[in-house]
Amino acid sequence: MSTVAASSNARRIGRGFAGAFLLAAIWELSVRGFNLPTYVLPSVSSILAGMVADAGKLAAAARFTAAEALTGYLLGCVIGIAAAVGVSMVPRTRSAVMSVATAINSVPVVAYSPLVLLWLGIGMTSKIVMVAVAVSFTVFLSTVAGLDRVDRKSIDLVRSFGAGRMAVLWRLRLPTALPLIIAGMRVSTVRSVIVAIVTEMLGAYGGLGWVIYQAVLQIDFVQVWAAIIVASAISLCFFGVISFIEQRYIFWR
Amino acid sequence: MSLSGLSGASLSAVKAGRFVSILKSLIWIAAFLLVVELIVVALGIRPYYLPRPSAIAAAFLATPQAYLLSMWRTLLETIIGFVAGSLFGVAMGVLFHRWTILRELFFPLFVVSQTIPVIAFGAVVVLWFGNTLFAKAVIAFYISFLPVTVNALLGFATVDPRQVALMRSFGAKEGQILRRLYLPAALPQIFVALKLASSLSLIGAIVGEWFGDTTGLGVLLLQAMYNENVVGIWVTIVASACLGIGLYGAVSEAERRIVFWGAEQ
Repeated sequence: MSTVAASSNARRIGRGFAGAFLLAAIWELSVRGFNLPTYVLPSVSSILAGMVADAGKLAAAARFTAAEALTGYLLGCVIGIAAAVGVSMVPRTRSAVMSVATAINSVPVVAYSPLVLLWLGIGMTSKIVMVAVAVSFTVFLSTVAGLDRVDRKSIDLVRSFGAGRMAVLWRLRLPTALPLIIAGMRVSTVRSVIVAIVTEMLGAYGGLGWVIYQAVLQIDFVQVWAAIIVASAISLCFFGVISFIEQRYIFWR
Repeated sequence: MSLSGLSGASLSAVKAGRFVSILKSLIWIAAFLLVVELIVVALGIRPYYLPRPSAIAAAFLATPQAYLLSMWRTLLETIIGFVAGSLFGVAMGVLFHRWTILRELFFPLFVVSQTIPVIAFGAVVVLWFGNTLFAKAVIAFYISFLPVTVNALLGFATVDPRQVALMRSFGAKEGQILRRLYLPAALPQIFVALKLASSLSLIGAIVGEWFGDTTGLGVLLLQAMYNENVVGIWVTIVASACLGIGLYGAVSEAERRIVFWGAEQ
């Protein structure tokens, strides 16, 4: 059974890589065949060469961005989950908090970037705050949805055994909510990197967004694409780690 | 007869309930704004950090034309991108469902494509298509199609193969099976994604405008930032929120009308 699943998994991964190679080959051939200028679309080989040539700069920028995204992500997860637990513990605050949260969340998150940059300057703090805001709302909403899934009868049952509020939360509500919480966390991984980069492009001292912005100004599109690929690799790793944790530890889904 | 009368009554009760809940949220938001106003006045917070809500409203009323024009422009970009993204997303869902080999070859690439920060891609798109409304719509399209594809695939997977076999045995063609069985079965899932895609495409349109344009909410945001005009930023934030809520509401309303059986599931 497990070997069958493993072999189908291996086939899927193999096909995925085959698709990537196919795309890279079509890209490379069409750039060479149509003789496209670099500013329209650089060839895959020149992007790879650019990545090797600028490896030091890209690695430093990637570390910068990853640090911002990770710090903001952790902060956002803690705030989002804590707020959701708070709302579910004190149901009276619920309708007020949810209305205001929905209103704040309906603003496209990038619209806050200029404001946060003005408030906190163009250092790392503003990016961390932006990421934390973006992540905390997603995690908050999915945690609230998860905590709501608990069956009223289960709560009554656990209560009848003499469990207190904390025990109900710890033993019943959180385990039931965990699959949705971690689904929200998984979606937020990619978002956290993107928000960090978007905010960096509006003003920063370093990071991938800053590299991209500089490269656009210098019309160096090989470097733009190189930075895009590095950014995408960071998001994928981040996404992969959370997905792995999800599959490994949320066995009761 | 009596049954239809009953369901009509319960329907209007549902509508009234919705109305009341919307009213309640509005009251909460108004109360929140009032509290903010009082706190700002009481603590003497400088407008640079948080302007009074009434000052924000006044700034909008001072030059409503500029804000309305920008909202209209951003709305157009968003809607074009959203519609194109939804259609493409569903079409890709159908293709990927029909041909597993295509899904295995290209679906991972679709997922990877969404990890690319759209703003980085934006510079390239604006270079390709010029500084036009179309270029912004392309960015909105790019960031909105994947959730639709993912959820269409999820929805298609819920179809019972025996139902497909039954329709085949009556001589239904592929197109008919798709239209009569797969699409209706997947619609509830697709609408979940459409609601997400509507807010994503708004983000795409706003970010797309950062690469240089003359009107649009993204432009207003940048101009206000460079002028350190915090009140202006807030007006634009509120304007974006109104667009976002409006789009979300429109898609939800369409869902209620089209997927009338959704409540059963």
